[in-house]
Order: sequence, then C-alpha cells, then structure tokens
Amino acid sequence: MTTENLHLEGAPFLKEQNRGLYEPAGPKATYEAAVRSTENNREITDAIPYWQDWRNAAEQIKTFAVANLDKLLVQFEQNITARGATVLWAETAEEANRLVLDIARRHNVKTVVKGKSMVSEEMELNHAFQSAGIRAMETDLGEYIVQLAGQRPTHIVTPALHLSAEDVGKLFEEKLGEPFSAEHEHLTNIARRHLREEYLKADMGMSGCNFAVADTGTLAVVENEGNVGLSTSTPPVHVALVGIEKMLPSIDYLPVFLNLLARVGTGQKLTSYTHLIHGATPGKELYVILLDNGRTKILQDPAARKALTCIRCGMCLNVCPVYRRVGGWAYGWVYPGPIGSIITPHLVGLKQAGTLPFASSLCGACSEVCPVKVDISHQLVHLRHRAVNEPSPANSLIDRITWNVWAWAMCGPVRYSLAAWAMRVGMRIIGLVPRSLHVDKLRAWTRGRELPPLSGPAFRTRWMRRRTDRKVAELRKDVCGSCCAACGLAKQKKNESNRP
Amino acid sequence: MTTTSRENILARVRTALQTHPPVERPPAPEVWPSTGPTTEQLVEQFTCELEAVSGELIRCGSMAEARRKLAELAERSDWRTLGAVDCRLCRELAADVPAERITWTHDGWDANEMAELSVGLVAAEMLLADTGTCVVANDTAEQRLMCYLPPACVVVATVEQLVEHMPAGWAEIARRTAQPDRRGEFVLITGPSRTADIEKILILGVHGPKQLVVVLI
Repeated sequence: MTTENLHLEGAPFLKEQNRGLYEPAGPKATYEAAVRSTENNREITDAIPYWQDWRNAAEQIKTFAVANLDKLLVQFEQNITARGATVLWAETAEEANRLVLDIARRHNVKTVVKGKSMVSEEMELNHAFQSAGIRAMETDLGEYIVQLAGQRPTHIVTPALHLSAEDVGKLFEEKLGEPFSAEHEHLTNIARRHLREEYLKADMGMSGCNFAVADTGTLAVVENEGNVGLSTSTPPVHVALVGIEKMLPSIDYLPVFLNLLARVGTGQKLTSYTHLIHGATPGKELYVILLDNGRTKILQDPAARKALTCIRCGMCLNVCPVYRRVGGWAYGWVYPGPIGSIITPHLVGLKQAGTLPFASSLCGACSEVCPVKVDISHQLVHLRHRAVNEPSPANSLIDRITWNVWAWAMCGPVRYSLAAWAMRVGMRIIGLVPRSLHVDKLRAWTRGRELPPLSGPAFRTRWMRRRTDRKVAELRKDVCGSCCAACGLAKQKKNESNRP
Repeated sequence: MTTTSRENILARVRTALQTHPPVERPPAPEVWPSTGPTTEQLVEQFTCELEAVSGELIRCGSMAEARRKLAELAERSDWRTLGAVDCRLCRELAADVPAERITWTHDGWDANEMAELSVGLVAAEMLLADTGTCVVANDTAEQRLMCYLPPACVVVATVEQLVEHMPAGWAEIARRTAQPDRRGEFVLITGPSRTADIEKILILGVHGPKQLVVVLI
C-alpha cells in the first residue's frame, strides 16, 4: 500500500478496515506487539505509588495550558526568539510545507534528515520535499522502515509495529540490497550504517517536539535512538515542527510529564535521551514552526477541547481492542486508535471522518490508561452525536432510514414482533443471494464472516411457551398431585428439548 | 505572510477561549518525595539503575585512579582516538592521554572527522540516581555531537554531582535553563542509544553510541 492510496476519502474506517484485516502478517504482528507493549508499560506504571497523583497533576497543568494557550504561545515565541531562534506560524499543513521549503531554498538544501514527528506526517512533508526535488530521509528506525516500504506509520510511537522482523529483512534485501536476515540486531546495524552517511551529508535536520516550555523558550524532545540528537546537531539548519497544543506554562512542570511520558509511551523510567533545546547553537540556525492545522477547531468545541491535552504517548492504541485487531491504517489518517478517532474528525472534518467515532466498543480502556486523563470514551459519544446530526457519512439517507425504522420498531410490542419477523425473513433472503452480489456495508461484513440466520425461537415465543407449560403442569398437579414421577420426568425432557 | 497567520491563529485561539471557564494555575507537583539518602546509597542506586539500562559504571577513589582505569578501558576496548569536550573535568581525566590520540572540541570541527573517533568524552553537570541518568550541558554543536556521534561515550562526573532523582535536581536545571544567554541544550542521557522499533524487541546502539561508560570520581 503506498502513501498515495492512503489519502482520506469518504468513510475511511469501514473502507480501510478490511484491507488491514487481510494483510497476512500485519494484524498478527500488531496484536502481539501491542499486547507486549501494554504488559511492559503496565508493569512499570503499577510500580509507581504516585501514578494517579501524577495523572491528576498532569491533567490540571495541561488544562491550565489549554485555557491560556494564546498567552503561552506569545510567551514561548518571545523567549525562544530571544535565544536566536526564528518562529514561524502556519495555519494549515500546506502553509507549513511552504515555510519549510522556503527555509530549504534559502539555505540551499539538497538533503534533509528527519527525526520522528507526527506533525510532519500530518503535513505529508515527505511528499512536499519529493515534489521540490529534495531528498528527505526519516531517521527513526521505524519511520525509516515505513518510508522504505512506501507506507504510512501504523502507530504513533512505534511506526513499523505492523511489520515482523522477517518483513523488515525482506524489505532491506529489496530496497538496500542487503543479504536477507530476520535478526533484530543485524537489521538495526544495517539501518545504522546506511543512515550514518545521511546525517553527515545532510543540509537540514528536522525534529518534532514533545513539550514547548513557554517561560524559558525550551523545546523538550524525547527519544531513544540518538537520531534526534544527530539530526538536530549535525546539519547547519534545524527546523522544529510544533503543534500549537504542545505548550507547557513553566519548566517547573516538566519533570512530571517526562516521568509520565517515558513510562507510558515506551515502558522506560526515562528514555535514553531527553533533549531540552534552548535556542540555536553558535553558527547554526534554528527555526520553529507553530502549526494550527485544525487545532483551533478542537478548541472551539467545549466538549472536545480536552483532546488538545494529549501528549501522544500511544498507550490508548496499545490497549484498544479495536486497534489491536485492525491496525493503524484502518483509521484512514495520521492519528490512529482511540485518540485518532477523537481528533481526526475535528482536524479533517466530520464529513470525511464521521465514521471514526463509531470505530470503538466504548470499553473505556483508553480513558483508564491515558496519562493526562483525556475523557476519550465521552468524546467518542459526543462525536457520535455530532456525526448523526451534522453532515457526515453517519448521517446518510440509508442511516437515517435505518435508525428511524429502528426507533419506530422499539416503541411497541406489536411493532417489535413485526420488525423481528421481517428481520428473520430478510436474513433468510440475504442468505440466498450469492456473495458476489453483496454491496456496501453488507459486503464489508460478509467478505470475511458468516451471516447466519437469526436463531430461534425468539425469547418472547419461548416465554409464552413456558407460561403455557407451567399452566399445564399446574393442571396436572390438580389431577394427580405431586406424586407422579412420570409427569415430572416428561416435563424435564420437554424443557431440555426446548433449549437451543 | 506568517505575521497574518500568527494573528489569525491567535485570534481564533482567543475567540475559542472565551467560552473556557477560568482555570487556576496548579502548583508544580512534587513528583517524588525526598527521602534524604546517604551518598553511599545514592551511588549504589545509581550503579544499579545505570546497569539496568545497559550502562557501565567505573567508580574511582581519586582522579589518579580514574586516569589509570580510563587507560585500561581504552586498552581493552581498543579505543585509538579520543574526542573530548574542552572542560576542566575532562582535561583532568584525560591528562595522561597522549596528545596525538586526543582531540578537544573546537569551532568548526568537521562532523565527518568526529564520526571517525573511537570514543567521545563528556562531563556531566548532574547525575540522577533513581534513573541512572547523566545530565549533560551542551552549549555548542560540537559538544552535542560528542554525545551522539562516536560509537562509545564516556561521561565523567564527581560524586557530589549525584542527586536523588529528577525533582531533586530540577531547581538547578530550571535555573540554568532560564538564563537568557544559554544556548544549545541540556540532555538527559539514560543508557546507550536503543530501539524497539522492530517487534518491540530491545536492541542497543542504533544511531547513537552503543556503549555508555560513566566514570564516577
């Protein structure tokens, strides 16, 4: 699957979900890695007696930051500018791409090394570089793998979660001409060797940002591989991409977030490298691009704005029973999993992503683990409500008819029996239609699953029958009293045969 | 162009926030309480945590011993060329290293040359015992590269620099970060470079150093 096909178009969840399900190694690798990740992280967070206190504190701080976002943005801009950085603002992804390409042109950039950044995925920056004839290399191992494969990340922390070591071995064999190996260490060394050269010849380095500290003008970036360290210090120009929601009011608040993020994101006490970047080093340039790209739309909706407190740890993906099975692409855009289901509809519009809030069982596992206590389940319900009332794929004519019929049928016992009867007949008829003629949602279901006829008899029928049986038994009792063993036996047998 | 984008974004944020209820500024959380451990306990904890993240600790009673042990380690690991951050602690530690084998950080040092080094020597500002972390201040790009580019990294620190945990040392880090003339970065190094991007299996040494040695004096 190429990046090209992954543009969001129409009801993405249902559309992509099937594709994800039929990738032979994909879902299995995703499932196992997500489970492993959840277990590691649980173990380390369970060991912290203050875990809930930290979550409460983080929630309060982030809520405060969102409530004062305008002031913090200005303060951050002032402070980091005073340290020699240039701050640029972009309303949309296109504008941000334009700004990056302008910088690249100004510094005569031919090659770029990129640290991991979800914002750059949002911007589809690699595409923009490609069109401008600039060679851009992802340097995070997972990102590097998916870039080589011409795919999109399936996870926001571990982008190549869906690929097994064997897949990666085959990929390196095909794209880099390396002898095949499925050994993790060997594969890692191949990437190290190839990317070393890239760092040394790159003209520009890019990074994301985990926290932007307003009162000092600091960019906090966490990583494990050392690629962010290299990408931001080897080339003469460093461009940091920062979503406007990344603001933290004060450096004093940072420790609780660093402690939370490492544990919940990767199951570590701290990641190998935590960079607190304050301004450009002498002789080098630092640019900071502050990106809106729909974030202010989230801020406008009082029931949704808490989604802006997300620190992109990826834990809600790992625990999500839906994500584990369908993988990241099913969600059709950059942010998968529960967090994707609540921010994508805002960022790209309900018209395009209106089915995402329904891609959840509402089990609440995500809300329970979220380190900043984003009320994901409530937001999913809120968005479902909006999706069925505003223009969206969940508000199509067929959906409206279905739910109106449903509502009508549920309002009286006779209507209900009638609907149940119609359903029974309908299912029988569908059973007779060849699968090749199944369309739309029916096809999505029957492609990989059975559509068995409703089992019967219905509860109401059985209930009525039971009542009749009881009456018969009582009548018999009147006739032969409680002594008749044969009657009891017969009744028991009858009951057994009634059971489905 | 971006001036108007700036104004537009800020205007949208301000409009959206009109419906936001006021939020009181929360106090900075304590994170970890202080238990006042002894130096010996701190060293023990640091050693244990550093080993847990696959770092190595060399504990030395004096600078002379540290020099000897560094020479032994260089011999054993076959380190031919040493790059070092030009600071007091590194100068003292590397006093015995022959001049032809050591290069000190200087302006305009080519990264290609730095990549050829066997090992980079840097000095820590602070050590965090509960995570096995070295806090390193890098004011220049050359200092930064010394931490990431050579295949091995040696961090030198003295025992007085050990603090219990991140919150205990944070006041100092925050104070120095707030200095307006500060450039570059603080980096918190916890073990060598690592990845778990393939099947969530941990591998050491991806892009940064494969080996991290802390010399504690």
